[in-house]
Amino acid sequence: MGRVVLDLVERASVTVIGATFQVPAKNEDAQTVRDWCARSGNQLVSIQDGVATIRRGPAAAELPALPVPRLWIYSNFDCNLACDYCCARSSPKTPRRAVGLDNITRLAAQAADAGMEEIYLTGGEPFLLLDLDQIIQACTARLPTTVLTNGMLFHGRRLDMLRRMPRDRFTLQISVDSATPGQHDRHRGAGSWQRAMDGARLAIAEGFHVRVAATVAPSERNDLPAFHSMLDQLGIAAPNRIVRPVAHRGFAEDGVALTVETLVPEITVTADGVYWHPVGADHPDQLVTTQLFPLATAIGEIRRRFVAYRQALGETADRFPCA
Amino acid sequence: MHPSKPMVVGAVAYTPNVVPIWEGIRDYFADSPAPMDFVLFSNYGRQVDALIAGHIDIAWNTNLAWVRTVKQTGGACRALAMRDTDLTFSTVFITRKGSGLNGLQDLRGKKLALGSRDSAQAAILPVHFLNQAGLGQSDVDLLRIDSDLGKHGDTGHSELDALRALLDEKADAAAIGITTWDAIGRDQLMPGDALTAFWQSPQYCHCNFTALSTLPDEVSEPWVEHLLAMDWDSEAHRRILELEGLRRWVRPNLDGYASLFEAVEQQQIPDHW
Repeated sequence: MGRVVLDLVERASVTVIGATFQVPAKNEDAQTVRDWCARSGNQLVSIQDGVATIRRGPAAAELPALPVPRLWIYSNFDCNLACDYCCARSSPKTPRRAVGLDNITRLAAQAADAGMEEIYLTGGEPFLLLDLDQIIQACTARLPTTVLTNGMLFHGRRLDMLRRMPRDRFTLQISVDSATPGQHDRHRGAGSWQRAMDGARLAIAEGFHVRVAATVAPSERNDLPAFHSMLDQLGIAAPNRIVRPVAHRGFAEDGVALTVETLVPEITVTADGVYWHPVGADHPDQLVTTQLFPLATAIGEIRRRFVAYRQALGETADRFPCA
Repeated sequence: MHPSKPMVVGAVAYTPNVVPIWEGIRDYFADSPAPMDFVLFSNYGRQVDALIAGHIDIAWNTNLAWVRTVKQTGGACRALAMRDTDLTFSTVFITRKGSGLNGLQDLRGKKLALGSRDSAQAAILPVHFLNQAGLGQSDVDLLRIDSDLGKHGDTGHSELDALRALLDEKADAAAIGITTWDAIGRDQLMPGDALTAFWQSPQYCHCNFTALSTLPDEVSEPWVEHLLAMDWDSEAHRRILELEGLRRWVRPNLDGYASLFEAVEQQQIPDHW
């Protein structure tokens, strides 16, 4: 039974720090392997099918912080629009699946405690929620908050609700895809561009900090100079403009392929669980856990997986060096 | 040696991790009064040759490489620094639990597995300790396992092979270095019918940084002082110190080499290689 320890010591001595090695390990060796790893400062990766895989060197005393310290919350999935590239498959017929004020209040507190630096609320269309002002108040009480909206619903009681929202630590990110209605309406519906522009102007007039975000396919990038000129006239400064590609997710039939292995994670919470990234919400391959709370547990798991994916990519690069 | 040129330190590549170790040490010295570079060798014989030929300024030598440098230069060399762990090295004699071996005298008529014949801890000194106990070549059957010659036992492979021979009942005992015994967790990770230590040697010295006497103090001393300043409590330094197996660098104490000089003489170990 002691032979596995000799194999471990020998293989570890010729393995570069950070790389993995394998030794034969019977079932009865499992505890010995674990004990040796704990004692020697190496990491047990797995024991299965008679083989123990160990990573040489100690685990980081503390996992590195995630590159993007931002919490996304899908406040709801229903929407007044059915954009043909929506990664969340939102539409007027999509079930709401709201996270709810109480849960969002808890999430905001736990995000702040976990070192997150900002909250992004998205949907669906968050302004379909009639307690959105309370949700925003709960979020901005803890962290700077942005809400993503199509800007088309600032009327009646929703306008009243908007006016109750704070002006500090709060940004309205309004979706406008083009300088003129054609391109925008083609994806989002007839008349939607004009109503979005009206909403942006109203929000600016009401004293809100406004950011404009466009989703643009590669074939549509010719419009960008005109788009930026339009935003100049609207008074949206360059740092407050976002132009992003179409992600091949949800309703989109084409776009940028994104996986957990290649995406830098941005913690995303929906009513169904915690996901790797907002473009992957509602997609099983990006579901990390169905448990929203404690949020720190999900954050820790995402950090651990992020490190593992990066190490795997590094090892792949080692195995396939450029000629 | 022009003091404005970086000091060149030689080390033997006994494990892939010598690269991050020495790159880390080189980086540590980069902004010091004594910048350095390093050269890796495949074996200690080649490294000692390079030191004597002036191709390197300092050699990170094993105890046997130190003894050979002293003998080849007629003593015209000096030790600059060591690890704290180099002052307290020892050899441990291991047997299977329940074997009935309780001391060196119990090895009479038994078979003892030794590591590579150029390993001080696993071959040269064990024979020396047997001789000191009155056990000669005809008294103990020696099973020599020369699986990592040239590295002076640094890899530990020959010692692990000696332990395998012991577990396979091809030997009654094995002599290994204390660091190998610690690496396998002593007997705490060896449950059941596994292994136990039945004798441990007096402490002796292991590695040191060796320079020729021609290296001026005003050139070597800034390097040594900066080396000694590596701090276990510094996270960046600790990574290197852990990989190299020490907590701090220390000034040399040569008393612990006496037993190896005596062993090399008595066993007629060649001065070269």
